[in-house]
Amino acid sequence: MTDALEQISYPKTDRRTQSMAYVKTIIKRYGIISAFIVLCVILSIISPYFLTRQNILNVLRQSSINGILAVGMTFVILTGGIDLSVGSVVALAGIVGASFATTSSVAGVYGSPYPAPMAIMIGLLVGLAAGSVCGLVVSRFKVPPFVVTLGMLSSARGLTMLYTLGRPVPTLTPSFRWMGTGQVIGVPVPILILLVVFAIFWWVLTRTRFGRHVYAVGGNARAATTSGIFVSRIRLIVYMISGVTAGLAGLILAARTGSGLTQAGIAYELDAIAAVVIGGTSLSGGVGTVTGSLFGALIIAVMNNGLDLLGVDSNYQQIIKGLLIVVAVMIDPSRKKRGG
Amino acid sequence: MKYKLMVVVSALALAATMSTAYARPVKIGVTLYGMKAEFMQLWAAAAKQSPAIKSGDAEVTIFDGRYDPLVQQDQFGTMISQKYDAIVFAPIDAEAGATAVKLAHDAGIPVVGTNTRANTDLLASYVGADDVRSGYLEAKAVMDKIGCKGNVVQILGPIGISAQIERSQGNEKALAECPQVKVIESKTANWSRAEAQSLMEDWLTRHPGQIQGVIGQNDEMALGAIEAIKGQGLKVTDFAIAGIDGITDALRAVKAGEMTSILQDANAEAQGSVDVAIKIINPNYKPLSAIWTQYPEMPWKDGLAKDYSVPWTPVTAQNVDALLKLRE
Repeated sequence: MTDALEQISYPKTDRRTQSMAYVKTIIKRYGIISAFIVLCVILSIISPYFLTRQNILNVLRQSSINGILAVGMTFVILTGGIDLSVGSVVALAGIVGASFATTSSVAGVYGSPYPAPMAIMIGLLVGLAAGSVCGLVVSRFKVPPFVVTLGMLSSARGLTMLYTLGRPVPTLTPSFRWMGTGQVIGVPVPILILLVVFAIFWWVLTRTRFGRHVYAVGGNARAATTSGIFVSRIRLIVYMISGVTAGLAGLILAARTGSGLTQAGIAYELDAIAAVVIGGTSLSGGVGTVTGSLFGALIIAVMNNGLDLLGVDSNYQQIIKGLLIVVAVMIDPSRKKRGG
Repeated sequence: MKYKLMVVVSALALAATMSTAYARPVKIGVTLYGMKAEFMQLWAAAAKQSPAIKSGDAEVTIFDGRYDPLVQQDQFGTMISQKYDAIVFAPIDAEAGATAVKLAHDAGIPVVGTNTRANTDLLASYVGADDVRSGYLEAKAVMDKIGCKGNVVQILGPIGISAQIERSQGNEKALAECPQVKVIESKTANWSRAEAQSLMEDWLTRHPGQIQGVIGQNDEMALGAIEAIKGQGLKVTDFAIAGIDGITDALRAVKAGEMTSILQDANAEAQGSVDVAIKIINPNYKPLSAIWTQYPEMPWKDGLAKDYSVPWTPVTAQNVDALLKLRE
């Protein structure tokens, strides 16, 4: 199931080296999942509340926004880029979408509230637009992604503040809020959205030619161009994907908190990047999976939840998250393969 | 013989349950909007010093909301699944806070609001200070110092937090009393000293010599403005500067004659809300905090009042030394 670019070669060596290589594959492929399971086991032993249905649903729900962001971010990072703007796009898309679904005449657009699907579609389009702008500047004008998305981080936040003159968008319609607070067969809607998003983008990345090309661009852009891959277009599309997922996350956030907030999503890009890195995706591109990013987001959420259950100070949680990121990169076997 | 034993044992058991009506400590979760600034640090420390904890009547766990309403909402989720008995809540956003309160209410957990308001009537009680009043008092102090005419700048708290909304209302009331005073700039610095310093620097550049007063909606921001003024080589005493909260650095600035401030008693809010929360769960509880005798104008009312208005204490040259001593 590994992609063609990651053939594990077994040179004609003795059994011991072969088994070592085999173990490394296992760690690489299942390491993140095993780490996740070990973490859950430890926490369930320490706290009696961890494995309760309510807590499990809480953790999944808490990881849904970051998980959706991480799935989109994976595509960008796989091409060797980065998207620092997702936090601000979360706020922008959320507040614009919310302004179409509010009963407040002061904060809403003329004629609001509109049907929820319309508000959602508009929010997604806002995310898509923001992602497209980043993607165009990166692919056409060859400006480094760090710089472009940093600029979008600022501008999108400014646009958010301008859009409502700094005021929140309150009193959202119940049909819009269902996206954040509703349940289907007992499972909260944000979790279902996360699973659907994950499924779709897992399929795109592993089962389509486009997915192959994403890996190719990140692995070796020049070779990719030589093989006839339209690198520019790949780069544009991955930022559009990141923008749309950010838009979706922003809508869910507004639906969950019950209002569109200008201060939403601050520093969310850092958590998304952390999830992607912990999940085994290399920041230089070409290596990684959406499965890894999903479990990266789950690990962060489980860790936060566990530390909350144990009553650990918030500041220690931040320190531990930082250590987790560094350790995850340190033990990443593929790092050594690419020469660091 | 066995029958007598049974009677004695059941009598003892009955007596035991009656005398210790609630032996288990009340599990209280406190979620504060954000703990980067000193005021909330003082608040959290005061909550942990609550005499109810030492006496075993309560266990208090503090959660840092990190200035993010979703984080606070998730913390509510955690507290609900961990079966906390009561929640004390200082929301970062008045609207989003209402959502969180509803979650707890639907789970049967009483929420005592404190310090900042949530737009909901599902709170069991509220222990906090009247921000409209402090907004009025601080603006009035500035008006008095500038002689009711001139230009002032207004540094706001985070837009949407109840303290910003209500202190702005209070500021407006005082400004209305002095129609010759113009507010030439009004922007948020998000309770942050550093942000306020940048803002003030820009304003001093844009309006050289034209600013007479600074209304800072909290001490951190007023102190930032003071730093900006000093940084530009101007005399702080040429300005009328006011803040709210009574944090330690502000007390020192008041002592040096650089600003006026109004003490928000974090200790009274923290220990008061803990006491009220305990009383809701444990009807036999008698409040242990010293604040109820310290503030006779805020009566205990058996823990049943919907609103406990913690009085403000204007910081003056007379009481500043005593207040500073408390911080050591």
